[in-house]
Amino acid sequence: MNQRYIEDVELGDDVGPMVKEPTRSDLAAFVNVWGTKLGRFTDDEAAKAEGFTGVILPGNMSMAFLAQLITEWCGDLGKLKRLEVDFRRSIQPGDTLQCTGIVTDIQNVDQENQVSMDVYIETQKGERALQGTALVLLPNRA
Amino acid sequence: MTTPQEVMDNLDYDSSVVGVEVDVGTHHITSEEIIAYAKSIGETNPLYLDEEVARASTHGALIAPPLFYNLFINRLEPGLDPQVKFGTSGFDAGQHAEFFGPMRAGDTISAKAQIASVYAKTGRTGTMVFTVRRVTFTNQNGEKTATLDRLNVRRDIKP
Repeated sequence: MNQRYIEDVELGDDVGPMVKEPTRSDLAAFVNVWGTKLGRFTDDEAAKAEGFTGVILPGNMSMAFLAQLITEWCGDLGKLKRLEVDFRRSIQPGDTLQCTGIVTDIQNVDQENQVSMDVYIETQKGERALQGTALVLLPNRA
Repeated sequence: MTTPQEVMDNLDYDSSVVGVEVDVGTHHITSEEIIAYAKSIGETNPLYLDEEVARASTHGALIAPPLFYNLFINRLEPGLDPQVKFGTSGFDAGQHAEFFGPMRAGDTISAKAQIASVYAKTGRTGTMVFTVRRVTFTNQNGEKTATLDRLNVRRDIKP
């Protein structure tokens, strides 16, 4: 993994995009690890009864894609300090997800190099399914 | 349309539990579950997946991806319930997390939870009632690893 340093970052920089195309078997694997029995994640008929067209991804699964986007962008010496995400629309297996961020602020506070970003997941329909903000800490180039 | 204030004025829920923090249990983290979780979301970082690489790193053990707490949060005790009676369906509406240090394989994480707030909001699908559950995770050394606000929303769903 490439390390990113504060000197490499400018306001307005893109973070990603990282593309994810979760399949039904990816969803089943996550749900199995997570241990939920909620029908909207496991059973098409139960999901339809709640107004969806079929099973959906748990919000915290899609949010984990955003965490991966950010931590891979930072590199191992960077730190994800804060991640605040709202789940706005449902995501289904088979959707193509553009996981994206944009740098909105760069500050040095208490000896920490803080980078703020807006992050979101956009589906192939152009909808922002998840949207939020993140704060990361990056090291100085030695 | 009913305003959020009118909804709150008439909302049937137990406001006495708001702000009361309770222990909701502990979870011992194994390497196997970190690896299973990391694989299930498509992570490739060897610090999450390769015990040898992780042991040789400054962390000394596998570390967990940031949102790993989701793996065990539903296995903890549910904590206090404000029993919000509104709408036909409840959904996760988001997570606001702050991270202080990684959870590691071998850690025993203690969790405390409280209902931080209950509020109404009007959006594109009508009025919704949000419940914010705040969870604080601390490891066996007394170090806080993360705090999490889980947002749950209740609203009417028409199939």
